[in-house]
Amino acid sequence: MSRAAGVLAAVALVARAAAAQQVTVTVGPQFALESYTEVGAALQYQGVGVGGGLTARAGRFSGDAVVTRATLNPTSGNSSLQSFKATQVDVWVAYDVAPYASVEVGITHRSIAPDFAAQSVGAVRVGARAFSDLGPGATLAFHADYLAAPQFSGGGRAPISLDLGFTLDVRLAGRLHGTAAYAFQRVDRKTNPGSTGEIDAPIQESLGRLGLALAF
Amino acid sequence: MRLGGLLLLLAVGCAAALPAQAPAAAQNPTLRQALQAYDNLNFASALTLARRALTERMTGSDQARAYELLGFSYSATDSQVKAVDAFKQTILLDPDRDLDPRRISPKITSLFYAALGQVLVVRQLRVDSARFVGGQGNVPIRFTVTSPARVRTRAVLGSTSLLIDSAVVTGTVNLRWPAQLANGDPVPAGDWLIVVEATASQNTFSASQPVRVTHAAVDTVPHLTSLPGYPELPETEIAPQSWRPAGLAFLYTGGALVGTLGLESATLGSSSKRELGVVGGVALVTGFVMTLRKPSPRPAVGNILYNRLLRDQLVRRNQDITKENVTRRREVQLSAVPLKPAGGR
Repeated sequence: MSRAAGVLAAVALVARAAAAQQVTVTVGPQFALESYTEVGAALQYQGVGVGGGLTARAGRFSGDAVVTRATLNPTSGNSSLQSFKATQVDVWVAYDVAPYASVEVGITHRSIAPDFAAQSVGAVRVGARAFSDLGPGATLAFHADYLAAPQFSGGGRAPISLDLGFTLDVRLAGRLHGTAAYAFQRVDRKTNPGSTGEIDAPIQESLGRLGLALAF
Repeated sequence: MRLGGLLLLLAVGCAAALPAQAPAAAQNPTLRQALQAYDNLNFASALTLARRALTERMTGSDQARAYELLGFSYSATDSQVKAVDAFKQTILLDPDRDLDPRRISPKITSLFYAALGQVLVVRQLRVDSARFVGGQGNVPIRFTVTSPARVRTRAVLGSTSLLIDSAVVTGTVNLRWPAQLANGDPVPAGDWLIVVEATASQNTFSASQPVRVTHAAVDTVPHLTSLPGYPELPETEIAPQSWRPAGLAFLYTGGALVGTLGLESATLGSSSKRELGVVGGVALVTGFVMTLRKPSPRPAVGNILYNRLLRDQLVRRNQDITKENVTRRREVQLSAVPLKPAGGR
């Protein structure tokens, strides 16, 4: 009850601030689908979850903050694998360099519970976004980001890490928007367990989100 | 003698109708008897009675009638000099008197015109009605001077006297009075008198015509709400329906699919496409729906620029009208109307 009240208060605060600053803000809940694979084909997980997203736009600047929490279960039926909860936070800000393109910078962080059931990852994301109007109130955007300086809970490094995907925003009625987003993350993690030499421990994750949002 | 008698009868018959302007019946009884005698072709009696009437007290109109009767009677009795003298008196008493050449014999008419040429009068002074903005029009004046003379035409109101024209003229004269004071201002409203004075050696004659001058405000021009013949164009237009939304949805979904396939690790095997399938499906359906939807109006840049130009023109035109109206409010519309027929002495 107190959590719902807190959410409502936050939404009201965001709406007032947006109106005062002439900032367009959308905020709303999301339903998430997530697939996760690590190290080898045997370590595949899939699950669903919930999340929330907040976007803001003021002039040429825009920003997004998305939180997703999903419960991932092993797909292979291997009883030695355990389910875990992945909480992913993606935050970035973008600057429009053209009416159809922007550059963006932000962070991505995925934490795992319980610890070490999978790799927790944090990285800086730097990339670009292209967008097109599908029609009145409908926008498609495609993004491609490089994940720089990744950190893993199990150690290691990842010289190449990429994130790409696209988002769809449709104004359904008045202030109500429908959102859909897809992101695929590939992290070429390399570890050196016991100083015996580097081995590949890649990670890939695909995340789909469907949601509703209110615009202020 | 017989032929002469016939001509005389013809002349008298034509003259029987007497003046062209059908004057009112004579008030003097002696003059009425003289007229009756003339109608009965008893010219001797007519002459005697007319002369007697002139010795009696008569109105100016009866006097002019009596001299005219003398002129006709002398013409009928071939006393041309006396006829001309009688007509001269008629003209001096009533300068505007005229004979109708369709009803009066040419013999009498020619004697009448001979008399006209021997006197100095200003005849048929006419001032036409006029309405104009002060300084942009004038009042037409015309009159006839029977002999060469120096003619001064003035407009008089109380102590104000404005010279309209001064020239040596004869015959019909047409003048235009701008109704302005010496400083260019419109003349004050009031009952002005147009005075025409003709002078030739010792003879002078003047005629006048009263004219009422009134002032009124000049009509102002109403502001425009649109330029005639140039309607505003719609500033939005409906774009033709296209497959672009579906194409874009397909392109973005396809791009994501190609990117995913390209980034997939060989050691991890093929990843699940469940997320891409769901989100891509939503994107494709949205694109398809957007394709089928009636396109929303979009700004028509050409029309917007045209309308802006049109409104600029309208503003400019209304600014001109405002300036013009400021000028018009300072102006005066003059109306000049003659009050009664001219008189003269």
